Amino acid sequence: MSTTAAARQTPGRSAPVPGRADDGAVTRRRGVRQASGLPWILPAVVLVIGLVYFSIGYTGYVSTLDWNGFILSPSEPVGGANYTEMVGDPVFWRSLWHTAYFFVITFTVQTVLGFVFAALMHSKLRFGTLFKVVVFVPTVLAPAIMAPVFRQIFDADGQLNRLLDAVGLDAVSRPWLADATTAMGVVMVVTVWQWTGLTFILFFAAMSQVDPEVMEAARIDGAGNIRALRSIVWPMVRGTTAALALLGLIGALKTFDVPYLVTKGGPNHGTEFLGTYIYQVMVAEKHFGYAAAISVALLVLAITGGVLMSIRNRRAERS
Amino acid sequence: MFEARTTRDRIGLHVLAVVLALPFLAPLVVMVSGSFAGRGWSNYEKVFATGVVGTYFRNSLIIAVSTIALVYVVTMLAAFGFAKLRIAGKEVWFWLLLAALTMPEAVLLTPLFVTASTFDLYNEHIAVILPLAALQVPFTVLLARSFFQGIPSELMEAGRVDGASILQVFWRIVMPLTRPIAAAIVVLTLISAWNAYLLPLLMLNDPDRQVVTLLPSFFTSQYTNDQTGVLAAAVITAVPQIIAYLSLQKYFERGLAAGALK
Repeated sequence: MSTTAAARQTPGRSAPVPGRADDGAVTRRRGVRQASGLPWILPAVVLVIGLVYFSIGYTGYVSTLDWNGFILSPSEPVGGANYTEMVGDPVFWRSLWHTAYFFVITFTVQTVLGFVFAALMHSKLRFGTLFKVVVFVPTVLAPAIMAPVFRQIFDADGQLNRLLDAVGLDAVSRPWLADATTAMGVVMVVTVWQWTGLTFILFFAAMSQVDPEVMEAARIDGAGNIRALRSIVWPMVRGTTAALALLGLIGALKTFDVPYLVTKGGPNHGTEFLGTYIYQVMVAEKHFGYAAAISVALLVLAITGGVLMSIRNRRAERS
Repeated sequence: MFEARTTRDRIGLHVLAVVLALPFLAPLVVMVSGSFAGRGWSNYEKVFATGVVGTYFRNSLIIAVSTIALVYVVTMLAAFGFAKLRIAGKEVWFWLLLAALTMPEAVLLTPLFVTASTFDLYNEHIAVILPLAALQVPFTVLLARSFFQGIPSELMEAGRVDGASILQVFWRIVMPLTRPIAAAIVVLTLISAWNAYLLPLLMLNDPDRQVVTLLPSFFTSQYTNDQTGVLAAAVITAVPQIIAYLSLQKYFERGLAAGALK
């Protein structure tokens, strides 16, 4: 941390050194590139390695134990038994399956909504800023804060059912959180509600790069709105879509707050994700070794997913 | 993008925008109207009467500010090192940081919990601040590194020629140019620290130590069937976030967009 302290002590109020053009006549002293950068990256490396890599190693170790998590309680090495248990655990596989289809559905819906919104906001609407704020605000609100609101909306006598009854759709209304399929739907709705704003902002920025003349030419050639969006704009924002897919995949693997707070992973593990399952196994069942084994699986998935997606993205960029 | 030549088309576009935007507004309307249901403002009085709101906000503020400060200092130093200085095995170090980028918090639960109990850090804010910062740093370093790479090395060489030390170059020439990326880092870290739920849930058990994201759970446990109190608590915590976003709109949007694309 000595670098940090030194940086703080350096006076920052004095005028900046004027950047003088190198005219070649001045003898070069040791250049910037020759200075060693190790002390500069050390605090970051220590923080990340100290916490993240230590945690990975420790999790790997605990995953081979049968342990209730209390320091003083005996732990028993069980080798790969926790992993064997995991492979045979239907809840683990269900959580994985939930993560997969949660990712596919939320990513698709968010992409379509965000794309259409971004196109609309590029169409000189009145009150454009207002629309933008409405769609983006959920992104900055904590899921933990909004969870009680959604619990109430989707409650058996919540706002959604009252609305459905009011418009004569009482046949549709039901206790949404009590059934596994609709509860999963609720978890996805909350996620889409929260993250479409980000998708929208990214597409909005990407669309600013689309050359208006190309659009104009397409229109002269007789392309309608839908056609122009599909054949010109959509291919041009592909890089953004790919980045969003990666972000969505990692996000899906990290999912915790919404299912934990809105549905508690239930009913009957119907909305269980890896994160909520790890928490339950560890905190409620005090089965630390098994929780660690699932964590290792989650970690492998997250890293594999990240690597695969970024390789694919790089290939897509090249072609 | 959408071209509307006739008035009918223009109205159509606006109707489409309203129809798509309404579902995004609806939960906020439910939250606010629900918080006044029944006894109006006294729902809010009831929430404040518990006396914990200030404590929860103070704790969130402490955690957010400390995390931002830590992430900012560590990121700026590392990004400068990675972008502009000579480091043996630079790529290896960089990939070590990047590999931590996809880390789900859940992976950290077991070791953090055990470590915190061992060192008696359970219920201490530092037990939340350090992991939050460690999870944020890979991301912000990646972000800041490409920004630093965009700063011409000639500018720094010139400073060196004028006799400035590497620290002075960093502090006087580079830092003043980094304001846009600093804003992005602060906003990203603010959102992740302020909205953090899992780590505080695990680490902070004492109500004197808890943060705003745990406020709704506190009220749910206090008044089991009183939804109005819970919603009032939600409004109280959401309002500062919305105000922060509205007043720093540009930075929030740019910061989140920059963060997502890297």
